[in-house]
Amino acid sequence: MSAERYNRQIILKGFGEEAQQQLLRAKVLVIGAGGLGCPALQYLAAAGIGHIGLVDDDTISLSNLHRQILFTTADIGKLKVEVAAKRLQEMNTQIGIIRHPIRLQKNNVLDILSRYDYILDGTDNFESRYLINDACALLNKPLIFAAVSGFEGQLAIFNTPDHLTPSTNYRDLFPVPPDKGEVANCAENGVLGVLPGILGTMAAAETIKLIAKIGLPLTNKILSYNLLTQEQYTIKISHGDGYTLPKTVDEFLNMDYQDTSEGPLGYKEIDAGELVKLQQLESTILIDVRERREVPILDKQIFTQVPMSEFGAFMSKEFYQKHVVLICQHGIRSVAAAEAMQEKYGDAKKIYSLKGGIVKWRDHFLKP
Amino acid sequence: MKIELISFGKISEFINNQNIEVDGIADTDAFKQYLENQFPALKSMKYKLALNKNIVQENTEITNNATIAIMPPFSGG
Repeated sequence: MSAERYNRQIILKGFGEEAQQQLLRAKVLVIGAGGLGCPALQYLAAAGIGHIGLVDDDTISLSNLHRQILFTTADIGKLKVEVAAKRLQEMNTQIGIIRHPIRLQKNNVLDILSRYDYILDGTDNFESRYLINDACALLNKPLIFAAVSGFEGQLAIFNTPDHLTPSTNYRDLFPVPPDKGEVANCAENGVLGVLPGILGTMAAAETIKLIAKIGLPLTNKILSYNLLTQEQYTIKISHGDGYTLPKTVDEFLNMDYQDTSEGPLGYKEIDAGELVKLQQLESTILIDVRERREVPILDKQIFTQVPMSEFGAFMSKEFYQKHVVLICQHGIRSVAAAEAMQEKYGDAKKIYSLKGGIVKWRDHFLKP
Repeated sequence: MKIELISFGKISEFINNQNIEVDGIADTDAFKQYLENQFPALKSMKYKLALNKNIVQENTEITNNATIAIMPPFSGG
């Protein structure tokens, strides 16, 4: 270890050589190399965490760049973990960076998480968050949780006991996930780039505090942060009920995390190629479920506008088309719409949702 | 009885931070009922209450000048 690299933190009163050695010995897994993951990864790597794993199966797109600050314009289209790992390794050549270019699912999450000591959840959806929470609880791994919504963020440490309280987990706060469409995620909702930057950096700080055993980490507490007012509000978490955590691997594998890979029953998620084929059919209706203010604006001759806020009213009317393709910005609300339609029409109509939405197939929608 | 109400995320779009005066509400169960009557949008949302900065896990007595926070889950990243 080059002491000079870490000199400014080693000389800190209350940190020192021993704390630095603990960082170097630690293995931290950062899940999601996005708005939260990028700044967290940068500071964890710079601080000298000895082994950093990163999980993400996504590629870089232009709309990521305002908040995912490890990436440049030239990186668009490349795998996030590849670009991030390269940048981090250049920044600190003395640490190990492990790439996991996959989407965490029931069948791989336990294997990957078990290789690390600390898990930082910087994902962007509830399915992953509950999957990671339950896996961490089962494996008894400290979980550093950060999430954003609008101009606010939440930060917490789960599965880590403190001197007062046995460890708590995310389900002690929210026993079950919200229904799809109940809460928009940040892809659907918009986010100021600096907000996940702040929360991701705070998550890195909490990780370092836990490892180095300094200060008062947010164990069994959840901090709410408001960017507009710079106010923070910390709430103490205690053990709750009304949920079941899987206690064994078998129980875990039998949980329902709505992995997209397993495919929700009834409707089908399609890509742009399948969309084009369906478009040729006389009996297809293409429905854009985004709100009217959202851009890009699609050709209204081709795409019927039915915003989610008007969806119930639309479904109460009859329409003749047999194939219904639902489209939104990122393919999240369209899934909620597909579920609602599937419930109403069953086998009477064929329901499709465009996976990844307009953003993913931008070239298809915006071709001249 | 005076209660300070603090809300977060989507919930703060329809419940402002405010001091309220309520009568006949003795505990958190009753207060939850009161909130959902006043703000019906809450009924279809997941949220958690905190009384004086402690998560409410079971029905708890509310005393004068309590602070109650209403927190929804966030998932964005």
